[in-house]
Amino acid sequence: MKEIIFAGFGGQGVLTGGLILSFMAAEKDLETTWMPAYGATMRGGKANCVVKMGEVGGERIGNPLMGHADALIAMNEPSLDYLGKTKKGAVVIVNSHGVDENYEYPSDKKVYKVDSVELAEKVSNEQGQNLVMLGAMMKVTELYPKDEAIDLMCKFFASKGKEKYNEKNIAAFLAGYDAV
Amino acid sequence: MTTRKKPEVWKKDSSFCPGCGHGIVIRLIAELIEEMGVKSRELHAVGCACNLNGCWNDPQLQCPHGRAAAVAVGAKACEPDDLVFTYQGDGDAYVIGLSETMNAGYRGNITSIIINNNNFGMTGGQMSWTTLPGQTTTTSKKGRDALKEGEPFKGPELLSQFENVKFAARGAVYNPAEVNKTKALIKKAFELQMSGEGYGVVEVLCGCPTNWKMSPVDSNKWIEDAVTRYYGLGIIKDETAKILKEAI
Amino acid sequence: MAKELLKGNEALAEAALRGGCTFYSGYPITPQTEVMEYLSDRMPEIGRTFIQAESEIAAISQVMGAAWTGEKALTSSSGPGVSLKQEGISYIAHNNFPCVILNVCRWGNGLGSLDSAQTDYNRETRGGGQGDYRCIVMAPASIQEGVDMMYDAYDVAEEYHNPVVILTEAMLGQMIEGVNLPEFKPVKKLGLIRPYGRAGKDYMEKYAVHYNRMVDELERWESIQTEDADYVLVAFGMPSRVCTDVVSILRGKGEKVGLIRPINLWPFPFKAFEGIRPKAFITVETNETGQLVDDVAIAAKKSGAGDVPVYCLATHHECADEEAVLDYFEKVKSGSVKERY
Repeated sequence: MKEIIFAGFGGQGVLTGGLILSFMAAEKDLETTWMPAYGATMRGGKANCVVKMGEVGGERIGNPLMGHADALIAMNEPSLDYLGKTKKGAVVIVNSHGVDENYEYPSDKKVYKVDSVELAEKVSNEQGQNLVMLGAMMKVTELYPKDEAIDLMCKFFASKGKEKYNEKNIAAFLAGYDAV
Repeated sequence: MTTRKKPEVWKKDSSFCPGCGHGIVIRLIAELIEEMGVKSRELHAVGCACNLNGCWNDPQLQCPHGRAAAVAVGAKACEPDDLVFTYQGDGDAYVIGLSETMNAGYRGNITSIIINNNNFGMTGGQMSWTTLPGQTTTTSKKGRDALKEGEPFKGPELLSQFENVKFAARGAVYNPAEVNKTKALIKKAFELQMSGEGYGVVEVLCGCPTNWKMSPVDSNKWIEDAVTRYYGLGIIKDETAKILKEAI
Repeated sequence: MAKELLKGNEALAEAALRGGCTFYSGYPITPQTEVMEYLSDRMPEIGRTFIQAESEIAAISQVMGAAWTGEKALTSSSGPGVSLKQEGISYIAHNNFPCVILNVCRWGNGLGSLDSAQTDYNRETRGGGQGDYRCIVMAPASIQEGVDMMYDAYDVAEEYHNPVVILTEAMLGQMIEGVNLPEFKPVKKLGLIRPYGRAGKDYMEKYAVHYNRMVDELERWESIQTEDADYVLVAFGMPSRVCTDVVSILRGKGEKVGLIRPINLWPFPFKAFEGIRPKAFITVETNETGQLVDDVAIAAKKSGAGDVPVYCLATHHECADEEAVLDYFEKVKSGSVKERY
């Protein structure tokens, strides 16, 4: 079972980012859960979701809550509160645009800094910061091979009737993928 | 003198008090249903209308106190060809059920027949929102103080403000002429519903000799002399002329 | 074919339609609102009736009116809204009208909060309104299970002429999982209305027979490794998912631990307790005072394990995580917490 936390401010696309991960798992016939923060936990514009997915077919997912994440995607500094919910050796992809560069990370985490704002702007896809982060995470965790991940991501947007943005979205994904 | 046949929809005698207006009104409704040849759905809630339980051959439902109009909206949405009407007292429709009555008027296609006898009959004659100023009840023993306890509540007038309410009227049954007029009012409201064009309400002033502690004759006289001064009889709003003509 | 990813509230709404639901009336309340938002355009699209009611009281009243005509009616709400519906539910039960009430439970008394919880267990399983009746109560632990329950809910409601409550939790309503949606069932109006009558002297006698039939036929549960268990956890809904993980963790450490997961909360699955005599039963519930624990104590007594202590881990307005359950388990084992019964 894999657990990934996608966190940031509302509007940074973290819920969609997580949903893409769930979609990828479902497409591969793996069990998956996507749990958003809602109610009291999302006040102040803090948004997050936690995605869990089986690694082999039929693997049941018990608790869908955040607990022992394999990866944390933190698009702002408050998201680093969830470091405590990550495993030893977890991958942490940090949006360096939104987090103090002197932030002290626990020594047992593998931290990668990505400027999602600058990279998204570079490929003229300001809305695609979440995909930049997704690309970076995909490379570091090797969750899916690059081409397969891109195919599944495009399939996700197509399922939402948004396939016309696929080219821009691939560019954002690759910008992140190549930045780590 | 004409004799009237007992309508088929009327299953067994009700248990209203002697001299109560309820018996007359429900008889008028039963006659109209037979004359119009429609399938009715009768909904009442809590209060003296409970005495109708088991008296109706068409589908009949007792609803939670005040909620008959909302239940009727649900039933009408599922059976639009049936004549769906609520048969309620003033306490039920105007006091505890004010929200449901108003919302049914606001957007429903049902008919409300509301018996106004100025008090809560079933529970033994407590003050209602329709109680006249100065009228004594078991909870206004010195007479209703309108300054403290509210002015008489005029349901059809209030409902008539809604666009969807196409017919609002008030009748009475204290003499044969008024009984016949009331039947005509109810008929219009029923025809309106069957045309599918909106909501109609007919309030009927009725005597409550038991709780008023009057004879039936004195009750009728009091309605004519005193109650109608607050509650004017006749049509309050009627937009059915065009609707019913078009429907024919 | 890959499963569809659906939000719990929307998945259950769609499953209701596929199971035959033809009428909905409701009033918005978080965390249930997606149910009515979804149905508001979906129902007219397939020729079914949707009403946004003026209140929860009107909503259950309209459901009563629709059920009276033989339609398959649904309403949905959360804690405070379902409270307002109780009077209507009592009338519906009294009339033996089938219908389905979905409670996407949120935490609390009064207005409470938006947190996911199981604080409405007692109300739903005890009838809730005036009088002496019960609703059939089903509690899914996953969205797929919720979909399957909702899909069959009208068959159950109509078979027993009784309201069915589906009790989910805010988290189950808000989360997304992969779901296989079943095909649409053919819709037909219920012909037989009110087989047990309502008013009249023999009504309660008939109801007693009706009640016993539900009790005899509707127990549903899942048992996980209870046969040899020294400790049996009991949980439904979200905490049961956590407990499933806890059982694996503890079995991995050689502890003989099992789980009873009630699927129907009423009738309570007493049969699940037959033939097991652990050292303790432990309920895990998302509430303050412990509610499920009372039924577990009764079940223990009924199955001849009346002397087995029953413990309760009630985790307030947050679903327990594995650590909390493991920690409590150690305390039960070492005797540092007191049993409830």
